[in-house]
Amino acid sequence: MLHRILILTATLLVSVVSAAEPDLKTFRSRVEPVLKQYCYDCHGPEGEASPRMTLLDPDLYSGVDGETWHDALNRINQGKMPPADAEALPEAERQIVVDWLTTEISGATEAKRSTGGKVVFRRLTNYEYNNTLRDLLGIEFDYAENLPPESKSVDGFLNNGQVLGISPLQMEYYLAAARLALNKAIVTGDQPEVFSQVVQKSIQGARDNSVNGEMLDGRQQFIAGITRFPRAGKIRVTVQAYSVIPDGKPVPEMEVNIGIRSDTLSPSGRLAVTEVVGSEAEPETLVFEGRIESFPLPGKNPKYPGIQIRLKNLTALPEPVPKKGEPRPPSTEPNIYIKSVTFEGPIYDNWPPQHHINILPQEGVEEAGYVERVVSEFMRRAFRRPVTKTEVAKIVDFHNSIARESESFEDAIRETLALVLISPEFLFLAEPIEPGKPGKPGGLGRKVQSLTEHELATRLSYFLWSSMPDQQLFDLADKKKLSKPAELELQVERMLEDERSWQFVRNFTSQWLDLSGLHRIAINPQYYKDFDERLKSQMAEETVRFVGEVLYHDLSVLNLLRSDFVVINQSLARHYGLPDPGSSQFVRVQLQGHENRGGLMTQGSFLLINSNGEDSHPIKRAVWILDRLLDDPPAPPPPDVPALESEKEDLASLTIKRQLELHREKASCNSCHRQIDPWGIPFENYDAIGRWRETGLRLVRGQAVQAELDSHAKLPTGAEVDGVVDFQKYMIEHESERFARALVKKLTTYALGRTLEFTDEAEVSELTTQFINNQYNLKKLMIAIVQSSLFQSK
Amino acid sequence: MNKSWHLNRRTFLQGSGVALALPWMECMSQAAPAKSAPKRLASIYFPFGVSLPGSKSEYAQWNWFPEVTGETFRFRKSLESLEPLREQVTVLGSLSHPAGRKMGGHDTGDIFLTGASFRGADYRNGISLDQYIANHVGEETRFGSLVMSSDGGVGEPTRATTLSFTAQGRPVPALSSPRQIIDRLFGTGDASSQAQRRLLKNTGSMLDLVLENSRSMKNRLGRQDQRKLDDYLASVREIEQRVKRSTAWLDIPKPEMAEEVANLAVDQSLPVEYMQAMYDLIFLAFQTDSTRVATYMLGQVAGATTIANAFPACLGLQGNWHGLAHGAGKGDGAEKLGRFDQLLTSQLSRFIQRLSETQEYDGTLLDNTLVFYGSSNSKTHNNSNYPLILAGGRSLGMKHNQFLTPGSHVPLSNLFVTLLDAMDIPHDGFADSTGELSEVRV
Repeated sequence: MLHRILILTATLLVSVVSAAEPDLKTFRSRVEPVLKQYCYDCHGPEGEASPRMTLLDPDLYSGVDGETWHDALNRINQGKMPPADAEALPEAERQIVVDWLTTEISGATEAKRSTGGKVVFRRLTNYEYNNTLRDLLGIEFDYAENLPPESKSVDGFLNNGQVLGISPLQMEYYLAAARLALNKAIVTGDQPEVFSQVVQKSIQGARDNSVNGEMLDGRQQFIAGITRFPRAGKIRVTVQAYSVIPDGKPVPEMEVNIGIRSDTLSPSGRLAVTEVVGSEAEPETLVFEGRIESFPLPGKNPKYPGIQIRLKNLTALPEPVPKKGEPRPPSTEPNIYIKSVTFEGPIYDNWPPQHHINILPQEGVEEAGYVERVVSEFMRRAFRRPVTKTEVAKIVDFHNSIARESESFEDAIRETLALVLISPEFLFLAEPIEPGKPGKPGGLGRKVQSLTEHELATRLSYFLWSSMPDQQLFDLADKKKLSKPAELELQVERMLEDERSWQFVRNFTSQWLDLSGLHRIAINPQYYKDFDERLKSQMAEETVRFVGEVLYHDLSVLNLLRSDFVVINQSLARHYGLPDPGSSQFVRVQLQGHENRGGLMTQGSFLLINSNGEDSHPIKRAVWILDRLLDDPPAPPPPDVPALESEKEDLASLTIKRQLELHREKASCNSCHRQIDPWGIPFENYDAIGRWRETGLRLVRGQAVQAELDSHAKLPTGAEVDGVVDFQKYMIEHESERFARALVKKLTTYALGRTLEFTDEAEVSELTTQFINNQYNLKKLMIAIVQSSLFQSK
Repeated sequence: MNKSWHLNRRTFLQGSGVALALPWMECMSQAAPAKSAPKRLASIYFPFGVSLPGSKSEYAQWNWFPEVTGETFRFRKSLESLEPLREQVTVLGSLSHPAGRKMGGHDTGDIFLTGASFRGADYRNGISLDQYIANHVGEETRFGSLVMSSDGGVGEPTRATTLSFTAQGRPVPALSSPRQIIDRLFGTGDASSQAQRRLLKNTGSMLDLVLENSRSMKNRLGRQDQRKLDDYLASVREIEQRVKRSTAWLDIPKPEMAEEVANLAVDQSLPVEYMQAMYDLIFLAFQTDSTRVATYMLGQVAGATTIANAFPACLGLQGNWHGLAHGAGKGDGAEKLGRFDQLLTSQLSRFIQRLSETQEYDGTLLDNTLVFYGSSNSKTHNNSNYPLILAGGRSLGMKHNQFLTPGSHVPLSNLFVTLLDAMDIPHDGFADSTGELSEVRV
């Protein structure tokens, strides 16, 4: 074992990140001679062609000719240079030039992006902003709804400080969101009237001609007309229901929507989806809560007053309607029966509500210094650190300046606290330099300091919860106990036990694996007539739950490469051709047989994202594996590359694998694609929507035809694999170290909120070795990252 | 074992918001009529270029450009919906931004309205035509400009999801939700004007205080972080300006909208309805003189990462936009992309038609409005010979009913210069312009 680890460490030190300086030696000794022989006749001092290459600066890091070199690389890659009438560039020489240019360009790009190994002063992402306000105010609401969408960083992560900028529009919405949030949190006056209504009969004959009623089959819906409702506040919908499930049929799922009626379509928002069991004798009581302002509400004097609660059965398939006068045959679908729907709102546990009291305690209101106490406590939590008297005094001054003109005391406090919520200390995760505090040398000649206890608490909570620290973290930081390694370990364990840690699983997994890609691919109905769009979000959910299963149950992350279980629900089981797990919720199912499922690479998310919506796309699948699982992304394609012309008739009869082989006969394509294509071929048995298949499918002149497929690949490493099971074995046997390292890098990038750099390599290697020694345990890796000096310095 | 981290077994909330068509609205009176007719510009961009089969191809009728240049031009299928409007329309070929020709085929959406040159690590865009105009006339309306795109936000350099850039070359975030846009344009909020005034006053002092407090913070930040904070401070200052402007606007009520507007709920999963809604919003914003310049980026060129890429598939056309554009050179691909071009044009025609049917001052809305429509690719990835349409602006001295090809040596910025002239905006050339493009004016 020891021996193996030593070898491993040695290979890990061969960095995949290029060194941070230009390689002029190779240029002089190997590249320039080739250019001299094949290019300078035209592009040299005597030649007429532009650019004159002898004048180009071979230092791509600090020189000005990077773009021209990039153009040259593209032309050479495309086979446009040297031109057909000049002496051809032999393959070996071509490779020398291409390799050098590729390395230099990517190295120079990275160097320009460098932040010197420092976390950039970063704004909260939209989802962090949302979670933070939720935890700060104690009200669940979509505060970030109006904020402009965010961009991804080059690593694919949203929390990278370098891409998190701010604009006036954003600032405007931050202010609006702050005021809105405080209006919800701080109440004025007496408790508002609570509206309550019980509905037992559905509205009949809604405009889409469906017959509505109390039995929800695949056609009917239940519409509860609610006449009086609040325009803001928490609401509760209670449904009494049961289901009748024929043998062998799944438990039906019910969708609960709230919306309004209009002349055309009826806008609505989804409150919940839930499965319905219960029996006629013992119906279930299902309770759902939300904020009414999250749903479409009618205008002030609408044509159709009131709101509607609509219930639908998502599981039952529509059955034929009997002819007039004929009796309806017994249903063979799982049907839901509604006994009653109760609407209540606005709901408060007491008055004033707890979220109000949290900010404005009821004691000492009359005492001097009450406002100071309120502001100081709120600032401490909002800024995630202790605040100074001067800081508080400035905000209190503002309060005093507006108090007299404000409509009420509460109103003045709302405005005052809104000021806190648009301050950079709230909107940004600030880790300012502490003058006089010792540091050690870091990248770009700057000093690295260790984090303060409160900064550490903040990093920790945004890593694991995507939100602000809780009271326990604050307390530990106050006592300066948090940074002790043993305490950090305890805290990571505790925080992972908390439901908020699903934020980590969800955000990290979906950004790392690019799950939002599911919604960028449109599935072509010509190929997949019955594809249900809702499967896309379930596929994303499957992947998130699967990673959660590995984390929370201390399984080896090698399960991500191949597992003997899946985490699926009924509809995905049907889609994958697996036995029914008997639940519409996600559950872990042990696989028996069914070798072609298990692990990330057999999940619909990976397979669908990396298709073109019509057929498998081995190149996209390969790039995803190299990029996301092995952290070895191939260089982006040069501009103007033609797509595969699979619709050409002479090509259409060939397998995709064979088409790719033909494509690689062109040397300029081959140099990159021989490294790429084989990684995607083993998945040829999965179609674009992730189903298993034995034969391929191709569209020739608008007709779908059967085609052969071939999932046998020879990897660039020399290994031969036949199909997905073989490939997974290969990955576990030969690539698990590379995978471990990739995961360490991705996770560290996410934890730090910055791109990793050359100077981080040593620590990444150490973490990787430790991770492997810990049997690829994700939780232990997270603890190790949190304890590392990378995480603890600024 | 503690299971507190398990999600509630029964319920998991999914993204709410259901896509629906909108009941369209009529807009009531105008707030404060300007003394003379305002001059306006709407700019619309689409990615990936158009179908351009050769004249001998069996699909020649799907070539986007008209047959024959000059006044006797004949529309082919893609633009045929413009035929009833030909007296109000000029088709332009051969133009492009010279700087863009040196850029990647996917990178030029960012500079469609700026003409700036940026390559490599020193990405820096210039001011866009609409923002340049807004800087001159923006004070006259409630909103300096209206910036929209199907993807929303700013995207990333070379894959911007906005057409508009500030004088500093910073992207202006685009709005993408019709509901949000309508709220901005016509929303009243429930505060009385006095309460609003108080709010604005508070906002003013809040921003002052934030600026003041941030100064002490800045000293303790590294150089890179200071730049981030500067962005923040610049944003705060801009809002301060806006607050001042809003205070001035306060005595003028926003235009009123019919009640149905509240039901506005359409999104990108219904592309035709969505595009219509976006065009209608420009129409409404112009009609109510809420702004004089509007941009709408129908889609961006990031291929796989953009919402609009799925538009063709949502409409039952095979494949995504990028794929459609790529396939245009093969077999009946020219017709497939052509049909999509046709659909996009019909949305534009509907918009121009609406402008032309609405009276204001001595003419129509269209007479005082310039509509500029096009792409920075001819065929996909090809950064020259932009397919462009210029419509409207008769009162601004525009000449129409022609197909012009001024030549590939003419920078597109020359057209921008002429548009600035038509709108009486002072300038010293625009981006890399070398002169004007007089053929489009009487």
